Amino acid sequence: MARSASPPVEPHRAGRRKPGETETAAERSEDQTDQLGERSVELSRFYAGKIETVPKVPVRSLGDFALWYTPGVAAVSRAIQANPDRAFELTGRWNTIAIVTDGSRVLGLGDIGPEAALPVMEGKALLFKVLGGVDAIPVPIRVRSPDEFIATVEALAPAFGGINLEDIASPKCFGILEKLANRLPIPVWHDDQLGTAAATVAGLLNALALTRRSMPEVRTVLLGAGAANLVTARLLLELGHSPHTLTLVDQKGILHADRDDLDELELRNPWKYRIALATDGGGRTGDLAAAVADADVLLAASTPKPGTVRPEHVRAMAKGPIVFALANPVPEIWPEVAESAGAAIVATGRSDFPNQVNNSLIFPAVFRGVLDARARAIPDEVVLAAAKELARGAALKGLTKHHLLPTMEEPEVFPQIAAAVGDTAVRLGIARRKLSHEEFLERAHALMGRPAQLIRALARARLTPPMPRAAPRKRRRTP
Amino acid sequence: MSGEGSGKVRASGSSEPSAPPVHLRPARDADVAALVPLLLRLKRLNEEFDPLLKVREDAEQQARQILKADIGNPKAVVLAAEGVGADRDKVVGFVRAHVRERPFYAPEQEGVILDIYFLPLYRRRGVGEFVLRETSNALKAKGAGIVTAEFPAQNEIAARFYSKRGFRPIIAVQARSL
Repeated sequence: MARSASPPVEPHRAGRRKPGETETAAERSEDQTDQLGERSVELSRFYAGKIETVPKVPVRSLGDFALWYTPGVAAVSRAIQANPDRAFELTGRWNTIAIVTDGSRVLGLGDIGPEAALPVMEGKALLFKVLGGVDAIPVPIRVRSPDEFIATVEALAPAFGGINLEDIASPKCFGILEKLANRLPIPVWHDDQLGTAAATVAGLLNALALTRRSMPEVRTVLLGAGAANLVTARLLLELGHSPHTLTLVDQKGILHADRDDLDELELRNPWKYRIALATDGGGRTGDLAAAVADADVLLAASTPKPGTVRPEHVRAMAKGPIVFALANPVPEIWPEVAESAGAAIVATGRSDFPNQVNNSLIFPAVFRGVLDARARAIPDEVVLAAAKELARGAALKGLTKHHLLPTMEEPEVFPQIAAAVGDTAVRLGIARRKLSHEEFLERAHALMGRPAQLIRALARARLTPPMPRAAPRKRRRTP
Repeated sequence: MSGEGSGKVRASGSSEPSAPPVHLRPARDADVAALVPLLLRLKRLNEEFDPLLKVREDAEQQARQILKADIGNPKAVVLAAEGVGADRDKVVGFVRAHVRERPFYAPEQEGVILDIYFLPLYRRRGVGEFVLRETSNALKAKGAGIVTAEFPAQNEIAARFYSKRGFRPIIAVQARSL
């Protein structure tokens, strides 16, 4: 990559759209989403759920149940009673996690309740298995308070080697994660905070490298102060970003220490309050326009609406700026608009544009790593190790402005991330099992490769029926 | 609300170089304009704890009058806190307290801390501790033999702050709408 603050612009497929065609992109995206939705309902009806439990031991005759169940199994129970950690070796606990949600903030759907959250959690379980080789059990729960949520997960924990919290409203997600992580002897993860933040940081590390910038010298604006961006801010500070050049912006403008709502935040969202004090607006007050002036980086993770970030915001940034517009499904600014306003590098949360910042690049491998290390926790060092390894994975293949992060079609990076996570857990002294890097890597390869074999074998044996043809689509609009 | 102070008292030479020092002095008439928004922030915070503490429309005018009256009142203590360095002339917090008669109980004079508010960047790091000590001394100098503090019952941060410093509830005030 030539040294340049603004790499040469190569029009990509999205970039070829003319100005004024952005609405078409929005419309197309909406139409596509509707089509996928109809098909998803059809298939959900056909398959009646996405996962099932399958025995992993031979059952030659009913006599074998004397081994797998009573009376033989009593000896296994006694062994675990004597040493509870042996559950990780004598049962499936080592590879089983719970996906727990209260259904209070599911996708972009809001508070839809635990029953309606189940298909999403099943989908997540499928991703965990296929991408990470992790057995994940969907557990949507009906609870009325964060304390009840915490108590419920504490009660469930003995069955699991890890907990994945999912789709919980901000800011209560912070307190729930913090308390569970402190109380449980197993890793607890909240993807909307950690997964998104880790993928964002990975993309940013490569974007900085591509534009020859270094973390301590950049001025960064985070638009949106929800679950993901508050953690991104924390991780950036841990990576050495100066708090004096880090500006968070929410609906009320720049988040600084003298803002009128700080007292309310101290009570209702102490995590946001702490970041407000730590950064004090990066030395600025005012609105988004005041924040972005001369900024090198804009990381937007706010409400999905184009025009939240306008071309003049990008133009006001430093030369060759980095713009991540991560709102889904509609980014805060369309990539082509950001590029024509001078953005050197643009990333979004969507798979149909280059540079997708996708937490699926992170969470399966993180869990593979912590489960293989039988880790007790997932501290930020582990999250950062995963982010750095993801960034390295893209760099190994060659960084370009359109290849900032590996795509889902580059699965070779996942075992590497898992091994980096395992190594970090060992180094931090939170691993129950201390494997070498090669052992972690080998194990991750084997376990992450197995689901594809299973899926193929089940399909070949017609135990998984082939997908039925799509029903003819009802027309939404008359031409 | 001053938050929980646990570090050393900054005004007497803190070991933490990053701690923002605070300078306390008796408030003057000229401080009223700077004190009014701080007092209003405190009252709005109190409203967060309980709807029965809903802030009145004319609260700003009330705040101005009350502060003016207390600054000239020998039975009141109003201390203004200034920052140092770049914030040397900025009022970053204040405390307001009254000395009241206790007709039935001994000691006969009670110093009541009515309001303490510090801007977020000037909390913790021993600021609360320092302000409480200075205020207690000022109230004692005016004859108080006991110091009390009033704050919303739901304000657990304030409750913890005072209980760590030897305070305990002695009177409960309960309320309902009419």
